[in-house]
Amino acid sequence: MKLLTHNMLTSHVKGVTKGYPLLIKATEVKVSEVEFNPQFVSRMIPKLEWSALVQAAEEVGHLNDLPTELLPDYENNEEFLRKVHRVLLEVEVLEGSLRCPESGREFPISRGIPNMLLNEDEA
Amino acid sequence: EVRKAKCLDFTLWIEHGEQTLEDPELQCCGHDRGPVTVTMGATVPTGFEHCAAEEVREKLGAEAKISKDRGRIYFQMSSDSLPLVHQLRSVDNLFVVVKEYVDYQFKDSKEETLKDLQDLASKLPWTNPLEVWKLNNVLKKRRWRRRGANVSRPNPSSDGAKEGTQEGAADTETQSLEAEPEQPGRVEEDYEDNQGQQDKGSAETGAEGTPGVLKFRVTCNRAGDKHSFTSNEAARDFGGAVQEFFQWKADMTKFDVEVLLNIHNNEVVIGVALTEESLHRRNISHFGPTTLRSTLAYGMLRLCKPQVSDVIIDPMCGTGAIPLEGALEWKHSYYLAGDNNDQAVNRTVNNVAHIHRKRQEKGCGPWGLPIDTVQWNLCRLPLKTASVDIIITDMPFGKRMGSKKRNWDLYPSCLREMARVCRPGTGKAVLLTQDKKCFAKALSRMGGLWRKSHTVWVNIGGLHAGVYLLKRVAKAGWRSTPLFTPLVLMI
Repeated sequence: MKLLTHNMLTSHVKGVTKGYPLLIKATEVKVSEVEFNPQFVSRMIPKLEWSALVQAAEEVGHLNDLPTELLPDYENNEEFLRKVHRVLLEVEVLEGSLRCPESGREFPISRGIPNMLLNEDEA
Repeated sequence: EVRKAKCLDFTLWIEHGEQTLEDPELQCCGHDRGPVTVTMGATVPTGFEHCAAEEVREKLGAEAKISKDRGRIYFQMSSDSLPLVHQLRSVDNLFVVVKEYVDYQFKDSKEETLKDLQDLASKLPWTNPLEVWKLNNVLKKRRWRRRGANVSRPNPSSDGAKEGTQEGAADTETQSLEAEPEQPGRVEEDYEDNQGQQDKGSAETGAEGTPGVLKFRVTCNRAGDKHSFTSNEAARDFGGAVQEFFQWKADMTKFDVEVLLNIHNNEVVIGVALTEESLHRRNISHFGPTTLRSTLAYGMLRLCKPQVSDVIIDPMCGTGAIPLEGALEWKHSYYLAGDNNDQAVNRTVNNVAHIHRKRQEKGCGPWGLPIDTVQWNLCRLPLKTASVDIIITDMPFGKRMGSKKRNWDLYPSCLREMARVCRPGTGKAVLLTQDKKCFAKALSRMGGLWRKSHTVWVNIGGLHAGVYLLKRVAKAGWRSTPLFTPLVLMI
């Protein structure tokens, strides 16, 4: 699971209204190499929840020096965009779980795949 | 030791080691081996001819002509561009055109017609097309060597000349769209495992008997209701004349040269195949029961024109064919493959890992792709509202997967949940389904959420299906609908 994916995932357990962001517990993390495209990153940023991204990066131990607040004029800041690129696309949680912040329900992550299926009574 | 090749006489063609056609020792009589320009033909999924033509224009700079015979396009190409041609992703099979007759005058009687076809064989301009065929073999061999020893080539069908149709009534040959055929041209990005037989031998020397004698077969596809002959007869007689002319050996299964005789009403095209038709049904169990052909996945993706930073999901991804094709061809977007089925998500992850490994082996730059996999229920997607730009998927066909009754319940909830996650105004969906009735009904109930933009009719293994391009309706308060619509509703 990449952190960009995590930024879009939300708990949809019945009755939950604050199911985002899911809390990450990672037991195995991997970093891969993905081609850097500055346009991709700068256009993706407005679609993200920045604070959730920062929190997620911290939870998996890859916060490094990612700023907690978005830098102004980030579109032209290549160094910044590269840091964001790494956190969005290159850091992957292979094993662990995602926890709903409201209900506490855990969704396991195995082989990089988060299992978001609900039971009958939760749907 | 190098043996001389007689360039115009294709009876003997022997290649030694890595030497190529450009090697001076393989030349004779000063025949000029500069690049030649030929007309190429390509078969594509029916309905996606324009998409393929666009890709040809983009990648080869050539204008493609779409044949009246559906599922085929033609374009001019220099033999220099042959490696590029094999990178086309919307094309199933390639052939070089030997000759095209736009309005062939068939004689009235069968005997005369067949005699005409026989006479044709020795008069056709074979030279350049066969040059390209030779060059193609050289390229193929290079790719095989790079891949290693356990490469196999799909064995062409062993039931004789591939028939068009039967005589008599207006008949057309359905483009048989196999799920996931082997495509030798796309080695680098090919994520299919090679479980086929080891059949490299026949491409190289081409003979068990006389060394160097090429083996061939003729495949005839015939469509039209005014012909006095069958495709079988045409293949047989034309083939006989070809054999006479070249002194090749006919062999239905282990052939080197496949000559194509395509007859569509009065349009006759003779060609030489560059790719093999493959009937890899046995690979289906490995990749899932309803794996989508990557050329079809490519066509669907082109329809929705992925933009930079688009978030693209396939909520019923199966083996991940569509998102994977997207991640390879439109790397500037982000792909989420999802399915509720354990096997499906595992296969998807395996397919992605396979491609990653291949890319790592090639060693040219960052190997990771912008794709991720989630296990989810598509009627309850664990995604934030309005977070997705494009939804693209192959919806279950009632007959092969699920059931028609289930689709009546599934389709509406599907469409509703997809509408929720899709960005209003700019969002799109590209949905492939065979259950057109059910889909149309489900869609009619969602007038406020989805608007039909475009439909492409395709043929999947003999079944007629539709690829629907939908636009996500903008939120109320946005100017997206014509001003007079409210008036119409009141009436």
